[in-house]
Amino acid sequence: MPTTYQIVVCGGIVPDPLQSLEPVMGPTGPALKNEMMLPSVLDPWAWHALFEAADLAKRHPGSKVWLVSMSPKAKLQQVMMGLAQKVPFELVVVDGPASGFADAVETAAALAGAIEGIPDLDRSKLLLFGGWQSASRGTGAVLQMIGEILGIDEQFQGVDKLTVDDSGGLEILERIEAGAWQKSRCAGAPAVLGWATGELPEPPNNPQIGMQNMRGIMPALQQAKPAALSGEGLSYDSVESPKQRRETRVETEMDADAIADEIAAWLKG
Amino acid sequence: MSTETATMPEVERQTMPVDIACVGFGPATGGFLHTLQQGLMNEDGTPAVESKVMPGMPPQVICYERADDLGFGVSGVVTEGRAIRESMPDLDLGEIPTAAEVTSEKVAYLLDPIGASRRSGLLKVTDTLIKPFAKNHAFTIPWIPPFLRKEPGMVFSIGQFCQWVGQRVTADGTVQVWPGTPVSEALIDDEKVKGVRLLDQGVDRDGKPAAGFMPGMDIEAALTVVGDGPFGAVGRQLDEHFGMPEGHHSRDWAVGMKFVIDLPESCNLKPGAVLHTMGYPEPEIFGFFYVFPDRVASCGIFVPSWFESPTRTAYRYLQHWLMHPWIWQHVEGGSLRSWGAKSIAESGRKGEPHLVGDGYARIGEGSGGTNVLRNSGVDEAWATGSQLGEAVLELLKDGKPFTKENLEATYVRRRRESWLEKESVKAENARNGFQKGFVRGIIGTAMAGMTGGRLHLGGEIMRPSEHVPTLEDYYKGRVSAEEITEIRKACEAKGAGLHDALMDKVGWPEIPLDGKLLVSQQDALLLGGKVQAPPGYADHVTFHDTTICESCEERICIEACSGQAITMNPEGGTPLFEREKCVHCGACLWNCSHTDPSNPERGNVNFQASTGGFHSAEN
Amino acid sequence: MDTKVLWIGFTDGSGMLEKPALEALTAACTIADGLGGELVAAVVGGSAETALGQIGGASPASVTTVTGETWSAPRYKTDAAACEQVAKTTEAGIVVSAAGSRFSRIAAGLAQRLGGAVDTQVTAAKVEGGTLKVDRWFYRQRMIGTIQRSTRPWVLSVAPGSFAPCAEGAVEATPLEVATESRTTPLGVEAGTSGAQTIRPDADVLLVAGAGWTKKQADGEVHVDVAADLILDFAESARASLGSSKSMVDLASEGQAVLPFLTHLHQIGQTGASPRHPKGLATCCHGEEPHAVGWRFINERRAINTNAACGWAQGKADVLYVADAFEVMRKVNERLK
Repeated sequence: MPTTYQIVVCGGIVPDPLQSLEPVMGPTGPALKNEMMLPSVLDPWAWHALFEAADLAKRHPGSKVWLVSMSPKAKLQQVMMGLAQKVPFELVVVDGPASGFADAVETAAALAGAIEGIPDLDRSKLLLFGGWQSASRGTGAVLQMIGEILGIDEQFQGVDKLTVDDSGGLEILERIEAGAWQKSRCAGAPAVLGWATGELPEPPNNPQIGMQNMRGIMPALQQAKPAALSGEGLSYDSVESPKQRRETRVETEMDADAIADEIAAWLKG
Repeated sequence: MSTETATMPEVERQTMPVDIACVGFGPATGGFLHTLQQGLMNEDGTPAVESKVMPGMPPQVICYERADDLGFGVSGVVTEGRAIRESMPDLDLGEIPTAAEVTSEKVAYLLDPIGASRRSGLLKVTDTLIKPFAKNHAFTIPWIPPFLRKEPGMVFSIGQFCQWVGQRVTADGTVQVWPGTPVSEALIDDEKVKGVRLLDQGVDRDGKPAAGFMPGMDIEAALTVVGDGPFGAVGRQLDEHFGMPEGHHSRDWAVGMKFVIDLPESCNLKPGAVLHTMGYPEPEIFGFFYVFPDRVASCGIFVPSWFESPTRTAYRYLQHWLMHPWIWQHVEGGSLRSWGAKSIAESGRKGEPHLVGDGYARIGEGSGGTNVLRNSGVDEAWATGSQLGEAVLELLKDGKPFTKENLEATYVRRRRESWLEKESVKAENARNGFQKGFVRGIIGTAMAGMTGGRLHLGGEIMRPSEHVPTLEDYYKGRVSAEEITEIRKACEAKGAGLHDALMDKVGWPEIPLDGKLLVSQQDALLLGGKVQAPPGYADHVTFHDTTICESCEERICIEACSGQAITMNPEGGTPLFEREKCVHCGACLWNCSHTDPSNPERGNVNFQASTGGFHSAEN
Repeated sequence: MDTKVLWIGFTDGSGMLEKPALEALTAACTIADGLGGELVAAVVGGSAETALGQIGGASPASVTTVTGETWSAPRYKTDAAACEQVAKTTEAGIVVSAAGSRFSRIAAGLAQRLGGAVDTQVTAAKVEGGTLKVDRWFYRQRMIGTIQRSTRPWVLSVAPGSFAPCAEGAVEATPLEVATESRTTPLGVEAGTSGAQTIRPDADVLLVAGAGWTKKQADGEVHVDVAADLILDFAESARASLGSSKSMVDLASEGQAVLPFLTHLHQIGQTGASPRHPKGLATCCHGEEPHAVGWRFINERRAINTNAACGWAQGKADVLYVADAFEVMRKVNERLK
């Protein structure tokens, strides 16, 4: 009988990474200028994790994928319009901040609570997926903490490849220094996998998947429980964009030999 | 089922039945879905009407939008918002980022402080007469005629408005809106529209299947609502298939190009301030400046199709306009946040296609809804959508099919009886005078405005290509034919367009790029989320007859390309196109000095459905 | 306990501590000195003998070792168990280690086990008025924040290159027995790319290849094979580390045959790495802030581009050469040989 998995993907939303961002200090701490106007996307690393989850579920019939997200639900609703045609999943929403300035500890606790609330989740088959980093807080912390709260102590970060062998073992490649991978074998679920970019291309939009997902997405958004983070124990002295501009010397008239001489001397210097 | 222009007839396509399929999500579709959604469910949560494809459920209503998110790549706007307020009597502008009530309006005639613009003798005399009364090289018109006033009204970013409407209409799940999903064509069978075909994914630049090929799905629908804007692929397909009503055509266009600017602390303009300009950088180019809350302005220019310059690059003109002392006083020290461009259908009622047919209805800008006298299109688009929404609810509740006859008796009737139609008739000929020059156009517009359209100045509406003189004729007396030949040669060697070199030649100063407010055009492409093009789609800009391109001297498609995505081919012949730089403004579609031999109403450039473009909803 | 600072170092396959570990030790010393607290150290790995000769410069009050075959390779469960037990035994209020892949894998899990908080990739630490404040970046190196926490224990991972390595010297250590077992078996290290190594974190120079290398050149043709040779030649002769822009990597993932040796591992910028090198040379790149964040930690920056109005000319590079990168790089390679 083939192995089946219950794959929970954790992913928040972030401003489209190509947007220009500027911090502002508000009454409750730092925030992004015009945060509500910035187009949002699912965090790029969680996005990869979701595709990997869907691919794994497809290869192991009987498996199921949930996407658990703590985000402001109005913004999340919008992100779902761009995401829900990609792969099948069931959405679980915590209506809370997706800010990079929210603390990882509290975010992890809220998400772990939401996962614990998923009816009939078989923890023995649980693979907890997410991004190994994020384009917001960027600590690479939340997934590890959720794993700990849920009692999963086989964890992997910077995963680029997951292969399931015949006996259900998970062979995993994790990014380490110098462009190399640490290869490990885990005997099976449960496990936590924080994904790097993986190897899968973005799936095309499939309207039927969209229709099917959306039947669950809107109720999930409507039923989202609010999570107010206290921010206790953490305070910000300052948050600022680096302002230093360089005085750029623009050389438009130098010939290739002169440029090569200068670059070679600079490299050797 | 057969399709008229099947992209890949041999490919097996999946089909999905829905009740209503909408093409494009803008203010018109927003108005449609908002109105429709109000009537689909009863208060007790049961369906008020039932789906034909999913019995027991409310009608399945799906909207496909080509851009990667709702409200990407549109513009700031000032509007009276009559139809919007009618639909939402409790509208709270505070809920829409960037929205504000109009607090002041000014219209100014800008003099040329540089002496580089191309002004007629009559205009030069006018300038001399006005000069003593001008301040900051501008004459503020003391009285704004009622037909131009927008007060009471509102300013907002159409992008933010669309996002806000999108959230509202999709919140209860009865309506689904899918961005990033272009519709390639309508499915036409036996002169009936039976739904739409989505664009093929996983293809190479020529549209041939590549890795991850997924043929576009056929979405079968009893009603197809076409709100895909002024140059949407489906709208144009229907225009060609069913033809235009007698005497109607879409010949008048403009490209609107704008900046979104974080205003400096020194700027004392209040949110809701509205400035409109004319006269500079060329007399044919009009300007707008809308102040949003939180010290943000959306401002820019319109370059119309009747501007008789073959080198009509809007970007540099926009920078010169911004640096006019009357505008610069407000923005100096500010920083550029975003940039964008979009084509505007300026034909108004003359460009109205067949509004309905069996299985389809047209709404919004592409349905000729824009009022060209009042320079107003967003509210009108909302109104057309809202009228269709009411009509569709009526037909659904009566259990009547979406035939041409039934849609005429419900939607078209509502539209004809509304203020929109009455004002549209008044506006119909207001701009004809511009066909023969700026001064005649202004006088004609004023006459039509003051007499409710009874009087206007005539002018046969020419196709855009008929407005284009040769470069030598356009620059006669300013740049000699020999100099133009030299410039052309030098630019060809560099693979560059002629525009900058010619503007330099006639005295336009170099733009002092500062990397903050004045940035290069390529850097502007990287602002506000960067122009993006998801992989796996075909090139959407192509050329009907490549032999025409080979002998083309004007190459307006290259000069006018807002994103510099169309460039000279060093091997000669058809210009090159880079999808990654295309901002989907559509200017190339109508900015062609030649016509397609198979259809004289269109140029030689084809603009098909595609994803990508701007990644910003704050424009 | 709030002022007790625990530094944890992981040894490599040869039993040594690498440079980032010694830099983190300096950070730990700085914090302990500032707080007027005590510095304690722990070494975890297959063996610790060599490492114990490397950390004496920090004069730790005590040193604990957790060694054996179990810790000879990285693995979440066993590494986390070792660090948890050391932290609980030493009752440290602050736990510091290098933000390498090994500690990054467990830092947050460790904080959770200790009931504490975590900050990763810390780039500076100072004590003001008895309060510890650390700097870390947000939104992918787009903005830097200075934060403080009342929560203890506080686990910090220190970004490589942020502190000078601590002076060497020998210390005595007390071994700690940690009982743990895992369902995971480490199977070794796999090279990330085929062919020559092109990602070298310790290289003096980073070469970033932009999408311009794969575009049509002045003769109207694409010369990807020439571009590949020039780039690899440079990487070899300058012992440079290689990076690429996102658009370049995306082209590769679309299945186009472009510079096959570039993978997502090479990607620099918003959704890629922000490596630290003394010098950086950008070739055929065009981008503004979101893309340039990959250069945040490159000290001296030069660029070659055919467009003088390129975003790099606007205050991001020290020198912008407006020239054909194919021609220039060929000549640079000749000079470096």
